Amino acid sequence: MENLISVFVSEANELLEDLEKALLQLEKDKQNKVGISEVFRIMHSLKGAANMFGFEAINQLTHDLETIYQAIRDNGVNLNQEIFNVTLKCLDHLKDLLNNRVIQDGSLQKTHDELLADIHRLSNHIKSAQVETVTTGLTNGGSYASYYILFKPNPKVLLNGTNTLYLVDELLSLGQGVSLPHFSESIAWSQLEADHSYTDFEVILYTDKSEQDILEVFMFVEAESVIEIAKLSDSNLLGEQKKVEHLKSAHQFKKVGKEHILSTLSAAESKTVAVTTDLQRTKSAANVRVSSERLDELMNLVSELVTTQASLSMLAERGTSPELTAVAETVEKITRRLRDNAFTMSLVPVENLVVRFQRLVRDLSKDLGKEIEFKAEGTETEIDKSIIEKLVDPLMHLIRNGLDHGIESPNERLKKGKPSKGTILFKSYYSGANVIIEVKDDGAGINVEKVRAKAISKGLISPDVELSEKEITNLIFLPGFSTSDKITGVSGRGVGMDVVRRNIADIRGDVEVFSKIGEGSTFVITLPLTLSIIDGLLVKVGNADYIIPLSLIRKCYEVSTNELASAYNHWITLDGDRTPYFYLRNRFKVKTEAPQHSQAIQIFSHWGNICLIVDRIVGDYQAVLKPLGRPYREQEEFSGATILGDGTVALVIDPIKLIGKLSREDGDKLGVSKN
Amino acid sequence: MVKTNKTENTGALKSFLSFRMMDELFAIDVLKVIEILELSKITKVPRSPEFLLGIVNLRGNVLPVIDARIKFGMPRKEATIDSCIIVMNIEIDNELVTLGALVDSVSEVLEIQSEMIQKSPSMGSRYNSAFIEGLVKINEDFVMILNIGKAFSQEEAGLLSLVTESQEETQVQSI
Repeated sequence: MENLISVFVSEANELLEDLEKALLQLEKDKQNKVGISEVFRIMHSLKGAANMFGFEAINQLTHDLETIYQAIRDNGVNLNQEIFNVTLKCLDHLKDLLNNRVIQDGSLQKTHDELLADIHRLSNHIKSAQVETVTTGLTNGGSYASYYILFKPNPKVLLNGTNTLYLVDELLSLGQGVSLPHFSESIAWSQLEADHSYTDFEVILYTDKSEQDILEVFMFVEAESVIEIAKLSDSNLLGEQKKVEHLKSAHQFKKVGKEHILSTLSAAESKTVAVTTDLQRTKSAANVRVSSERLDELMNLVSELVTTQASLSMLAERGTSPELTAVAETVEKITRRLRDNAFTMSLVPVENLVVRFQRLVRDLSKDLGKEIEFKAEGTETEIDKSIIEKLVDPLMHLIRNGLDHGIESPNERLKKGKPSKGTILFKSYYSGANVIIEVKDDGAGINVEKVRAKAISKGLISPDVELSEKEITNLIFLPGFSTSDKITGVSGRGVGMDVVRRNIADIRGDVEVFSKIGEGSTFVITLPLTLSIIDGLLVKVGNADYIIPLSLIRKCYEVSTNELASAYNHWITLDGDRTPYFYLRNRFKVKTEAPQHSQAIQIFSHWGNICLIVDRIVGDYQAVLKPLGRPYREQEEFSGATILGDGTVALVIDPIKLIGKLSREDGDKLGVSKN
Repeated sequence: MVKTNKTENTGALKSFLSFRMMDELFAIDVLKVIEILELSKITKVPRSPEFLLGIVNLRGNVLPVIDARIKFGMPRKEATIDSCIIVMNIEIDNELVTLGALVDSVSEVLEIQSEMIQKSPSMGSRYNSAFIEGLVKINEDFVMILNIGKAFSQEEAGLLSLVTESQEETQVQSI
């Protein structure tokens, strides 16, 4: 049972996420029928499941909410902002309730009672409104209904210059409708007149207009034609395209009749419901829920397979049997495909993140008295699940900062000639082996002078250093930096940006900021696609193997080892550019004999192109990244290790961290600490 | 295997794995030990503290290995045929960590009644008493039962309370 409950809780959380998404969509377009049905559907499933697992409080709340949305869906009750706000509050409350099957906490009970009272008030309000619509009956004050209209024009109608087709068109323009033309029963085939009309029309119309309004369409032909108008149902009988098509094709040019239409469409309704549930069933079969532990286990096995396959390939190369080589190659291909497949399984679209932010922006902008729109682009971009989880906090922080410090109040914005409504743009896209996420606001931007002054006053930089604007703006990532003069509840506690940077660095990502005063700031986060496999270059320093991630390598050069020894201040000239380098043999205290020629691996970094000098390049290598273990936690210059084909362990270098550390040890000649 | 305690079973028996370093016998709770490995190729991690020997391939996973001698403040010694790595699970800050420790040789599994274990005298001991859970006398030998959580977690100082010069260096690096 406990197990089942945990399944329920995880499913319910997903449902709530969907609900939140649907609600936020609905807020933009409150008349959206599909959206309303979706909200209703989710609440309904939630209610059913909650009831089954004894979440009494959830059951209660969703039941009452559901009633409201049913009224909205079926009876055209207006979804107003009040209902909306209460629903969102309920949503938050539901999340709390999921963690408390039985309400024990006093404050939780209080919120619960308050919300229930709110809902009852709203639903009573709706009920009384409904009674009104019923009593006002015929005039039908704006509520939708399906009508049956039979229009039998007088055969001579065309002679007056009236086109019956135009009338039908006008009728259909009143709402959503279908016309079913048929030959009039009075037709006498032996004596047809060319200028007479023998077509009668049956129209099914779903509209908010009253019968009176409908009749007005026939104002000029009313006297000589037979017109029959009847209300079929309060709901939309034309909701399902399929059954309408069915009705049309089954009764071509024959009169259908009101009763038949009603029965066909209503009967078809239940039939289509059955079909849709079938569809839903197949849909759920196409998606299998897998616990993340199993997925992790699969990834581990695949990683081991990749490693074993590397040994197999090596054995095959050494051996003389061509059959073995062929098998090894096939295994390699399959392994590669299996690996790619397994990795895509753990990828999730960033859309999952975006919903939370939408809500955050909506709520916070109201609290702050600002008008802010949240836009998201490229939400289909997929990243490893474990990366997404670790991104929530830093992104939340960046967005909050943008809301609080970035975007100005509406008045201030208008003064600056900007639209009063600010925008926060969330954008994600692929770039090579990386995923880039940008958080951009069109706010005030970062004041470079202010940042500089602050950094000096906090002793983070000395007053006489020359820094570029970009370097200065990136100072905000230093620990203990917070530029907002006043501390608000939203941000500005001084633990901000350095934590953001550290969290992102934990998932092998990097963050930078670009800002223009008056125009806004953009935070650019670069992330690896996956955490567990990297494409690397296998190199040797002494007898040891190292992997350097290919994505960071710009170019490789062969240099003579003597030249390095005589180079002044660790700068060498490559392609005509003076490039700083770090000689890894010395840095790693390797005692073996140095080769005559060494390899300079040029690395992209925010400090420019910097070389790491290694003894030899072995080749490219797919490295399955393994953590080094807790004792090596402080050694960030190695992001992990990988097992090579022959079973030896190679360390995976994090070039940026290594360069940063080495440079600092040398008295920071590259100025890395400034950044 | 020597059965050392054949007297009346009055107290609960606990099993300990004993190992030798510098002619001293140490023992750790056998339940914390996962396996014992022969010394295989250790990949050194450059720029790491001296007591960290490096990493080895443990069936496709990476195992960090500590040189128990250096960690305990003893002089380094070339590995012999008897040298082996004890793989164990220890808890550091509520996190279960798998570690290997290189020791001179592994002796045996001892079954010891809990009341046989004496509290270690904190005064006059050569060793830092925080790491030693107790002492037990077996065949005229004293066996030191280690609190491995403390002895092998890297934040703590060395086992030897007498700080030698070389050990001081180790400590500086280990911080």
